[in-house]
Amino acid sequence: MFVAFAGAVAMQAKLNIVATTSDLGAVAREVGGDEVKVTVLARPTEDPHFVDAKPSFLVQMSRADLLIEGGAELESAWLGPLVDGSRNPKIQKGAPGHFAANVDVRILEVPSVLDRSQGDIHAGGNPHYLTDPANAQIVARNLAAKFCALDPRACEKFKRNAAAFNARLETKLKEWEQALAPFKGEHVVAYHNSWPYFAKKFGLEIDIFLEPKPGIPPSPAHLAGVIEVMKKEKVRAIFCEPFLNHKTAEKVAEETGATVLEVSQFPGAFKGVKADYISLMDYIVSSLAKALGKQ
Amino acid sequence: MFDIIQFMLWPLAACLLLPPILVYLGLHIIRREIIFVDLALAQVAALGTCVAILLEQHAGWHGYAWSLGFTLVGAALFTLTRTKHSEVPQEALIGIVYVVAAAFGILLLNRSAEGSEELKRTLVGDVLLVNQTSVLRTFVIYVGIGAIHFLLRRKFIRLSFHPHEAAAEGMNVRLWDFIFYCLFGVVVTSFVQIGGVLLTFSYLIVPAVCATFLAKRLVVRLILGWIVATASSVFALYLSYRLDLPTGAAVVCVLGAALLLVTIGARLRGRNATLPSP
Repeated sequence: MFVAFAGAVAMQAKLNIVATTSDLGAVAREVGGDEVKVTVLARPTEDPHFVDAKPSFLVQMSRADLLIEGGAELESAWLGPLVDGSRNPKIQKGAPGHFAANVDVRILEVPSVLDRSQGDIHAGGNPHYLTDPANAQIVARNLAAKFCALDPRACEKFKRNAAAFNARLETKLKEWEQALAPFKGEHVVAYHNSWPYFAKKFGLEIDIFLEPKPGIPPSPAHLAGVIEVMKKEKVRAIFCEPFLNHKTAEKVAEETGATVLEVSQFPGAFKGVKADYISLMDYIVSSLAKALGKQ
Repeated sequence: MFDIIQFMLWPLAACLLLPPILVYLGLHIIRREIIFVDLALAQVAALGTCVAILLEQHAGWHGYAWSLGFTLVGAALFTLTRTKHSEVPQEALIGIVYVVAAAFGILLLNRSAEGSEELKRTLVGDVLLVNQTSVLRTFVIYVGIGAIHFLLRRKFIRLSFHPHEAAAEGMNVRLWDFIFYCLFGVVVTSFVQIGGVLLTFSYLIVPAVCATFLAKRLVVRLILGWIVATASSVFALYLSYRLDLPTGAAVVCVLGAALLLVTIGARLRGRNATLPSP
């Protein structure tokens, strides 16, 4: 009787997963379904480069079976001390419970020269790779394999979930490509350089930034230059994340007739938008298409 | 119960082992009636850190050295400004140093990528993630400085609490003031690295003010100050854990609440609490 009870409890034990950002968390939820419990450290509206440590993080991480991080140094300013402080051997770097999600992902903008004068350059390249849905498919597949390794009993489920998610994504991808096809080659301005993967996927040029260099706040001189380029190229949209200075983006939009689009790569960032990967990408693609479609 | 000790152990150690010397120095500072000197010195220490970041010498002991260097210059400044000019109070000059140091830090870090984050960090600190090495190293430094203060207590207490007598007795006030501020600067710099400017100021001033409301003798004030600091720290860390609040800010708020309780208590007792007469 006790054995049966213990067995029942063991069978229902979910994998405790901690993800650094909510895009990773969203994909983990898709793959894990109800076999996993996912906690996300960074709030979706928070700047992922700098997250304030809270006591609950340490608690969650101490109980985690798996830590999922971007792997491309997005969290390098804050994750290390948390991993140390968690005193959880399972999730230390190199342990099976520490997963860097950029495995098999082709990383863009890897710098040949690493130097502070270029701003806050990530040594491993641009870390915002989940803005390309194709990369989400890669992450989903690899997460399924990782979950399988940690919980072989539910392996079939994980594989099925990942396949289903990827299939849905494939369908949606075609929709999105169609919606943005009319605007191929057009320029979009972004406050921070976090959209190159999205740009590459959908044939847009998101290479004008309000930040003169990554992480450096916009200076008046630089903004004047951006406004000039925007007028010349007739740029109609400015991407701005919730944690960045909207006043600056609005000012530039005023001068150029462009629209400021609130965007985020983190599901859950917007109240009216469901907190899953596909809903978020849907929202971004449709707002962008609408803004670019305006005359 | 076990959980909280496991995660909050080193923050707790930091908040129990390190504040006592801050409380003691706070009593000196209050007596000298230049409350903002510690805010100003803490900000100058933070400015040193900003310079180190800009010059990319932030890592390891380099960052600390820059911070300390700036603090010692600040200490010299404050020694020289303890003027006898009744027209310009020293507090005004100290306030100016604080504001200019803060603004200059912003200017410097405007060119640096994580500038605003680093500025926030110097203000708010990183108590939750403080590690064993930082706490123990700082504790050793503090024990050393505490020993110096204990050995030379007559001189320092005279200097702060009876400056005119000290001068009259032929003590080189300028020199001893400078030594006082240097040692003070080391204490402040070290704590700012761990707890940030706000927390440093709070530990320096709030327990000392509470104690000053409640007692007259220096030794009694010291003990009461230590009790307030310890009780507030423990309670704040507990709250921070339970309610998932940023730890440093929680401590500052609890210290503020402690002061409120003490002033209400002192009122109720009808004690006419005043600062010691000059």
